[in-house]
Amino acid sequence: MDFLKPFIEVYTPDHLKFLLQGFLVTLKVAAISIVLSFIIGAIVGTLRYAKIPVLSQILAVLVEILRNLPLLLIIFFTYFALPELGIEMEITTAAIAALTVFESAMLSEIIRSGLNSIEKGQTEAGRSSGLSYVQTLRYIVLPQALRRMVPPIVSQFISLLKDTSLAVVIALPDLLHNGQIIYAQKESYVAPVFIIVALMYFIVNYALSLAARRLELKQS
Amino acid sequence: MIEFSKVNKFYGDFHVLKDINLTINKGEVVVVIGPSGSGKSTLLRCINRLETISDGGLTVNGVSVGDKKTNINTLRRNIGMVFQHFHLYPHKTVLQNITLAPMKVLGQSQKEAEETARHYLDKVGILEKAGSYPSQLSGGQQQRVAIARGLAMKPEVMLFDEPTSALDPEMIGEVLDVMKALAREGMTMVVVTHEMGFAREVADRIVFMDEGRVLEEAVPADFYENPREERARLFLSRILNH
Repeated sequence: MDFLKPFIEVYTPDHLKFLLQGFLVTLKVAAISIVLSFIIGAIVGTLRYAKIPVLSQILAVLVEILRNLPLLLIIFFTYFALPELGIEMEITTAAIAALTVFESAMLSEIIRSGLNSIEKGQTEAGRSSGLSYVQTLRYIVLPQALRRMVPPIVSQFISLLKDTSLAVVIALPDLLHNGQIIYAQKESYVAPVFIIVALMYFIVNYALSLAARRLELKQS
Repeated sequence: MIEFSKVNKFYGDFHVLKDINLTINKGEVVVVIGPSGSGKSTLLRCINRLETISDGGLTVNGVSVGDKKTNINTLRRNIGMVFQHFHLYPHKTVLQNITLAPMKVLGQSQKEAEETARHYLDKVGILEKAGSYPSQLSGGQQQRVAIARGLAMKPEVMLFDEPTSALDPEMIGEVLDVMKALAREGMTMVVVTHEMGFAREVADRIVFMDEGRVLEEAVPADFYENPREERARLFLSRILNH
């Protein structure tokens, strides 16, 4: 039973508390980024769907740029390069900003394609009854599109939550970061720490997937 | 009431409508027939600006449809439309499908809109389906709901774009019956269809189109007995003798 020894050693109340503190940072950063990127993504996705001249094209270019860059690079850029340009942020803010910008681009694509997936006839039926473009979007297209978008949006949220761990590169004191501090003390701590860190990520993300599945079932 | 004068429409280089002159009077039932690709659906869809015309004049009740100053939403209140594929809102119940536009466009209260909706559902014979979702209905029932949805706005004109083409044969009758009743009540109707029996029975006028032109306009008896145009004769012989 020797292999259990490091587990017993490392799972002390202090260590667990420290990990939970990190986990709270992860959840906080993820939650704020999820809310912000959902709002921005919904606006950008809808504007692109509406094909507003010039604006939609500009947004398309921005989205394409962001979507095709590694998130890690965006995080580095936000924290290390932006201060050179006079925009300085603390670590947490920088992490939230980087995640929000990147995930907004991803979500806007999901929302745009969700809107596009609704048959044109739905819009025609709405418009021909005298509803305005915005009313048709709001009462007919968007509600149907949102239902279809639940699974990809939730998986994007899940990957956002996991992606918060990339912010260890700018020393965001999140779950992974605090885990690293603990296992740095002793080599035998590495596996037990990784296991509990993995477990924490898994529980929250799995709960999110289950919630999404529930929502899907309720709708059908 | 609806007036096309020298209307042309292009899709890129493709000339879909060629010099259309057509007048549809109040209370008239006009049936547009012709081979597929002849532009009849496009013609119909121009009336409520689901398609824009490239040049010429098109007015509904004296209002120019293409004019940028025309409030298209106001104009469309007055023009009901029924589509080949029904296009009911799948996330809304039958009742909600019908009450949406009256509430949001005409500003009716929910109670008022529901009363109207029930009245028209009764009229098309499916009041008992008010609480169902479109997916729980047969094609014929869905199309009848779509007609009730159009009527609930109390429009002056109803446009029908091949309303029975997507239906199983045994459901065509129930939809045509509703349309016949509507025609008898004096509704102005423009109907694109291949239902020759319907055209013969209720149309005041047949408009025959081919390759983007109106080739012939005649009362049904004349048109069916003795079509003037060779193309119309050929079309009729193909469609009637199969």
